[in-house]
Amino acid sequence: MIDIMDIQGGNVQSIRNWAERLHIQTRVIKNPNELKSNFLILPGVGSVGPYMDKLKKTNFDKAIKEHINDGHRVLGICLGFQIMGNHSSEDGGVECLGLINGYTEHLKVNFSHNGWEELTLDKNNLKAQSLNSTMKLTRRRITKGRVFFNHEYGFINQDEDSFSLPISENLNKYSSTLVKDNIIGVQFHPEKSQQTGLDFLSVIL
Amino acid sequence: MRIGSSVLLVDGYCYQSYGWKKLRPLGSLQNIINSLEAYQCDEISIIRPVRENDSIKAFKKDLVIIQKLNCMTPISFGGGIKNSEMVDLLHNLPVERLIFSSAFITENYKPIEHAIELYGHQAIQCAIPLGTLNGELKVFHSNSNTYISIESVNFDMIKELSNEIILIDVDNEGCNDGFNKRVLDCIDIDYNRLVISGGIGRKTVKFARNNDIASVMIDNRTLHSEYSIKEYKNYGGV
Repeated sequence: MIDIMDIQGGNVQSIRNWAERLHIQTRVIKNPNELKSNFLILPGVGSVGPYMDKLKKTNFDKAIKEHINDGHRVLGICLGFQIMGNHSSEDGGVECLGLINGYTEHLKVNFSHNGWEELTLDKNNLKAQSLNSTMKLTRRRITKGRVFFNHEYGFINQDEDSFSLPISENLNKYSSTLVKDNIIGVQFHPEKSQQTGLDFLSVIL
Repeated sequence: MRIGSSVLLVDGYCYQSYGWKKLRPLGSLQNIINSLEAYQCDEISIIRPVRENDSIKAFKKDLVIIQKLNCMTPISFGGGIKNSEMVDLLHNLPVERLIFSSAFITENYKPIEHAIELYGHQAIQCAIPLGTLNGELKVFHSNSNTYISIESVNFDMIKELSNEIILIDVDNEGCNDGFNKRVLDCIDIDYNRLVISGGIGRKTVKFARNNDIASVMIDNRTLHSEYSIKEYKNYGGV
């Protein structure tokens, strides 16, 4: 079972479709009290100011922190990843959840980054992290393929103990995939990354 | 460069347009999306080619179809989004990007700004349909079903509020490699923020790739031929 946070601002239906293609039961939660599974997805379409406002208004900010402190896993997608850092320069500067040591800034190289990039993720490289991967959906340990990005802001990781992959050669200062113990953040949209997105989910679960 | 495709959604079914004059039925939206996904199409634009007589009832009816879509390919959706209330109705659709056309042309920025707040600036695309009238290139204003001069469009605001701009050559849609490159001259902007559509064939894909254009939308009529997107990707060097 996977919980998907719904604060009226993301492509929740795409994430449901994605997980359900792997026959994983999903539950869309609009209230933090409904949070029960050990895997929570923070969808990410929108801008950081309204997103953080909604998190605070609904008390999801505290619920996410408690969920992580209890050893459960969180996957943040795109903006859902960025809000787990310390702060973001979007919307004139916004303080974020501070769960990962890093920050978000406007992409320096391009105006925006819309397209597909190669991803190779070897689960063996995550051994230093307490990922608590439990579902064992596949024995495969490597995800390799192309993933879809659509963003104007990028996350700069400052946590030396975390596992981080760059977006591309051109955007190598920004994290594409970041794993810090039970926190997973991805700048790309795995729910819209066709077969690679499915492979990614089956490996990390 | 991305290689995508676009489909027109009319009364719940998909169509291919020929020069925006004739429509060829393609079938249900889910079937079309399944085909394009099987070809590993990079993105799909779903456009409602609506005019002034569009109603909120018809809009909601189309949203029900899109809501049910099961797909893992990036989707853009637009056509007839006139106000903030309509933007609110788009919540929770399996769609990443929103396309505005008449709202930009008529400088009706409220729904666009509302969409930016909900979906982020990266999610906003502006569609500018262009066609030739009496030998002169003009912008097609869908809502009023008329052509207007290029100079009357506020491109500065389009550049500011949209992430990418889709330039549609309406005369050549459905016509292989007929894309009129003069369309690119209508706006002074980096090509890496442009998506081109209408008459996109192999040569145009190659041209787009050589000019760092962000994306091309191949006409969907190719679904009716023995078509492989791999061939187009080869021309696009991706």
